[in-house]
Amino acid sequence: MSSDHAAHAPSSAPNAPHALRFVLHVWRQKNAQSTGEFATFHLDDVSPDMSFLEMLDVLNERLIAAGDDPIAFDHDCREGICGACSLTINGQPHGFERETTTCQTHMRRFEDGATLYIEPFRANAFPIVKDLVVDRSAFDRIIAAGGFVSARTGSAPDANALPVPKGDADRAMDAAACIGCGACVASCKNASAMLFVSAKVAHLSLLPQGQAERGRRVLSMVERMDAEGFGNCTNESECEAACPKGISVANIARLNREYLRALATES
Amino acid sequence: MTRRLSSSLSSSIGKKALMSVTGLLLIGFLVVHLAGNLTLFSDDTGEHFDAYSTKLMSFGPLLTLAEIGLAVLFVVHLALGLRVTFENRAARAQRYALERDRGSRSFASSTMLVTGCLVLVFVVVHLLDFRFRERASDGLAAMVVRRLSEPAGVLIYLVGVTALGIHLSHAFRSALQTLGLNDTRFDRPLVRLGRVLAIGLGVGFALFPLILFSGARKHTQAAAQAPAPVEVPADVPAVEEAQR
Repeated sequence: MSSDHAAHAPSSAPNAPHALRFVLHVWRQKNAQSTGEFATFHLDDVSPDMSFLEMLDVLNERLIAAGDDPIAFDHDCREGICGACSLTINGQPHGFERETTTCQTHMRRFEDGATLYIEPFRANAFPIVKDLVVDRSAFDRIIAAGGFVSARTGSAPDANALPVPKGDADRAMDAAACIGCGACVASCKNASAMLFVSAKVAHLSLLPQGQAERGRRVLSMVERMDAEGFGNCTNESECEAACPKGISVANIARLNREYLRALATES
Repeated sequence: MTRRLSSSLSSSIGKKALMSVTGLLLIGFLVVHLAGNLTLFSDDTGEHFDAYSTKLMSFGPLLTLAEIGLAVLFVVHLALGLRVTFENRAARAQRYALERDRGSRSFASSTMLVTGCLVLVFVVVHLLDFRFRERASDGLAAMVVRRLSEPAGVLIYLVGVTALGIHLSHAFRSALQTLGLNDTRFDRPLVRLGRVLAIGLGVGFALFPLILFSGARKHTQAAAQAPAPVEVPADVPAVEEAQR
């Protein structure tokens, strides 16, 4: 497709007086094999109330109306809880807002007239499927390698039947907030998946149900993580800053601790 | 078991843990090295420093063993550092058009390979200067003073210790995180210790080129005048007089 589009018509913005203007450079790539390039779009009538994805929806409708291929991007709940959105805005996964997913980012947060570079999450372990869509099944395979509890846990037990110290419960809950979106990998200069894996390992290793497979789990998950081609952690906390759920790198210290412990104790 | 251990040590966390342990042991060496070197300033003649170095040399095979140990630590740390760096670069074939850091990425953390290589070059020069060169007749202290009175010597040593200080400012904290000691009860005291070590070692080693080049110590000027193999002239005070 041509690299410069003027997607003006048909404009029906009801709040035209407050409409925002943006120049978008969007990564277009046919499939994993092809080499992509940026396509430029000028939007003159973006409502400040639109979410970032709604802005892309509007752009896509115009592309379709003009007979062009719409921009492929991942999305699902649009409530910031599913982890499907997977694009970077000006080099930052989920944009510049702290602890906010792309779908929960609104256009009023951007300066009128801004130029935005919209790219997919970039990592060898997340191959591009099309445009802004990447294949994050490497995360699924890491979970399948050990990110679960195989003991039968039955129905919900009576409160306090399983004693869990308050601090552990809080830390496990904070780690469990991970939605597996992959922003940690996308923001890490080494494309490392340590924050994701650490959240899963910390979550399960802190709770009684996770104890039986504690050592085996961390060894298997790290082994899978390495096999998927993610980089090594260099402790620069870019992942923590990019995480839409505020997962702390303290979990990575815990993962390292769990791994070394398992190395010493697992037969 | 053994196969598992070796494969686990070559995992991403295993490699980083080995880098951390070797790095921390090298920091331990630096502390001892700095403490020993400071004897150069404990008297005006350099006798204490010479006595310290003579004592070290008298350990003979034990010293050689320790040196081999240090070399192994250094090589393992360096080899793993190179491997990790190249693996990390390869993990993202296609870069972003715009790159924005917003975590705690710093000048030090993003230049670990560069500062590490500068330290390597410096260590080679340093060993050629003082370890693999014939001991001058007027002692090691005099050799050190002469080397650090030359502008080229001062420049090399200042660049070396600056690179080391920058490297350490990310290294210690990073090693604690890798060994899983962050976010534990050891966290705060260890972070403080790390700051003291990075600043203490950086500034401590920088004192030698700075003080010796500025000629603030008496024996500095005396030794700086004497060419290496020649005996120090008996009329050292006269030389000092002449300099004034």
